[in-house]
Amino acid sequence: MQDKITRLFKAISDPTRRDIFHALVIATSALSISQISNQFDMTRQGVTKHIKTLEEAGLLKIQIQGRERFCLAQPNELEAINKWLKFYEQFWDDHLDRLGDYLDHQT
Amino acid sequence: MKDLITKEAHFNHPIEKVWNAISKAEEISTWFIKADFKAESGYHYTFIASQKNDCVNITGVVIEATPYTLIYTWIVAHTEVETTVKWELEATDNGTRLYLEHSGISKYKGDTAIKMFESFNGGWAGCMTELSDYLKKLVNAG
Repeated sequence: MQDKITRLFKAISDPTRRDIFHALVIATSALSISQISNQFDMTRQGVTKHIKTLEEAGLLKIQIQGRERFCLAQPNELEAINKWLKFYEQFWDDHLDRLGDYLDHQT
Repeated sequence: MKDLITKEAHFNHPIEKVWNAISKAEEISTWFIKADFKAESGYHYTFIASQKNDCVNITGVVIEATPYTLIYTWIVAHTEVETTVKWELEATDNGTRLYLEHSGISKYKGDTAIKMFESFNGGWAGCMTELSDYLKKLVNAG
């Protein structure tokens, strides 16, 4: 069983999926599978597969309208990873500074 | 997106001095976190949080400690998943270059990660010696 963060990393590890996700984020409204297929010159099947992975990671929501499925980006899901990384980025920056000070002032 | 934090720093000090600073309990306790630590492969170390608030310790096992590479696992108490911290030193003409790598972040379960962020609000960040105001603001803003 995959956990949430692992699914997130899996979803964004593929460049095509990152592009699709990016296109959805900057789109002002939900995009249909057909629109995404056209934009990326991919088959509907190919798009559907990527969309499924993104949906499983919680990065987008699918809305069904008539016969077409529309995808809406959910970028907030990336927050968890970002916060973790930001916390430790800063944590290590601070502590390497402290290490430098310590070395400089050590007798 | 990366699953890895890497840092690089240069110190105008000999490699042996920097190695001691990152591997000897007495020195780690001075600039980093109060530590029960031995640079011996297999040693179960503890970085001891201050007693106030609900601070939690960091624990882990030393995986490698051969000059000048130090690797240990990093487990925040009450969480299940471990990450790995690797320190590497390299002598340069006028000092020592330090490479730090913190990896395995994606192994954190979603709920665990969220719980961790919440615990920062509860003072965990403050436990880790004196973190900058910037960091506290960042964490509280979450």
